[in-house]
Parts: sequence; structure tokens; C-alpha cells
Amino acid sequence: MANTVLTVPGRYDQIQKIVAFVTQGAREAGLDEDAIFHVELCCDEACTNIIEHAYGGEDVGMIRVRYELLADAFKMIIQDNGRPFDPDQVPPPSLPTVPANSAADSTLSQPQIGGLGLHFMRKLMDEVQFSFNAGGENTLIMIKKLATGGNS
Amino acid sequence: MSVWQEPIPSLTGAWLIGVQGRLDHTLSPTLEATLNQLLAQQTMHLLVDLAEVTYINSGGLRCLVSAWRKAQQQGSSVTLCGLNGRLQEIFGMVGFDRVFVIYPSRAEAQAALHTAV
Repeated sequence: MANTVLTVPGRYDQIQKIVAFVTQGAREAGLDEDAIFHVELCCDEACTNIIEHAYGGEDVGMIRVRYELLADAFKMIIQDNGRPFDPDQVPPPSLPTVPANSAADSTLSQPQIGGLGLHFMRKLMDEVQFSFNAGGENTLIMIKKLATGGNS
Repeated sequence: MSVWQEPIPSLTGAWLIGVQGRLDHTLSPTLEATLNQLLAQQTMHLLVDLAEVTYINSGGLRCLVSAWRKAQQQGSSVTLCGLNGRLQEIFGMVGFDRVFVIYPSRAEAQAALHTAV
């Protein structure tokens, strides 16, 4: 089992560095290109949420990323020291379900544009776990299984 | 990586906006500024060609939906074209393929706009 760590400042211009690091690991794990794209998107969204919500801005704290190559899956662990995050407090996005221009669905006039990052994580990863410890550390674990491709 | 814009010939008040690269923190601010500027000029039709977009995240989606909302409010339109398979997957996952009118190619989108106007 391989195990690698990257620590960077919580800034938007660091996200591509984090994503490159994680997708290299996903490739080593043997994920196919579609699954690697899913890992890339979910890692991007997680780091964006840390900067926007946990830290409330750039250069407030660090983001630590680690990954593990498991026998049947790719596991990434993303940590920060920002505000505790409770995913249960984030309602699922109200997504449109009928064709555009239909007067029947008023949600289309105000399509939901918040909470999408968490929605992608839940849809594209096989496991998503958030935790917060007494030391003030948020930990997000996301697992993408090999071959079967999870919910995607 | 860039965002460019040009008027669509023979279609008054219509602009083509092209995006090349990653529609994330890299290009979304530039695209947002471009779309806002055109909408502020009361442009009637915005056609955004995403054929050369290699990646999109929620920030990129938010940028496009914000423009769509502003366009709706002022009687303009935002049409998309050229989404690759990954972009189609992401749009479908959040239902934005039902919010936007999307054409497979720029040629088809322009033909449809000419027919509609």
C-alpha cells in the first residue's frame, strides 16, 4: 500500500497542485480516466469548500492531502483546521427536473447554485466521511473503488 | 487558456463567446466578466461555445447559471454548444441540461439562432 502526503496553503491557486497530486495517485491506483476525472472534481470541490467555508477566505490555514492505494480502491484524506463542517447542515441542492421553458416548474427560474460540490462528492464517490476532532481538525475521507466505478 | 468573444455575423445583437481551457478558478472569473459585460450592453443572444473546455467545476457551472439568470430577467438568452462527454455528464447530474438550451456544435447552434430570430 502506497501512502503519500502534500501540505499547501489554503489558496485557490494551490488547488491545481493538489488535484495534480491526487490524480497522479488515482492513476497509480489503476482508476480509469472517467474515475480519475471524478476524483479530480471531488478533490477540487472539497478544497474549494475548505477555503470558502472552513477558512472563510484564502491564506487563513493549510490544507493537508494524503492518499492511499488500497487493494480495491483509491482513498484520499483531506484535512484542514478551519471551522467544523457538518454536512447534515447542508441541504441537498434543489435540482431542476423538467425541461426548460416549462412554466410548471418555478425552480427553473431560480436554479440552485449552492451545495453543488457536496452533491458531486456524494454522487461520484463510493464513500464520503466527514469528521472533526477535539484538536480542531476537519477530516474528509473519500473513497473511489476500482473497476466498478461506484455510483457514476 | 482563454476566453474570447466576437459578434455573430448577420445576427444583430448576438455574440459568440469561446472558452478554451479549464472552467474553474482559472477561467470562470474571466468568463463571468465577459458575460456580464455583454449582458450589460443588452446583448440579446449569447452563444457560449464550450467545445474546448477540458474541465468544469461547480464554480464554472455557477458562472454560467448566473449569466442565464440575468439573461432571463432582461429578456436575453444564453445558449450553449459543444459540450464533451464529461461536461454533459456533469450538466446532467445537476439538471442544468434542462436549464440551458444546448446544441452539439457551434454550427447547429448558430443555424438554430438564425432560424429563431
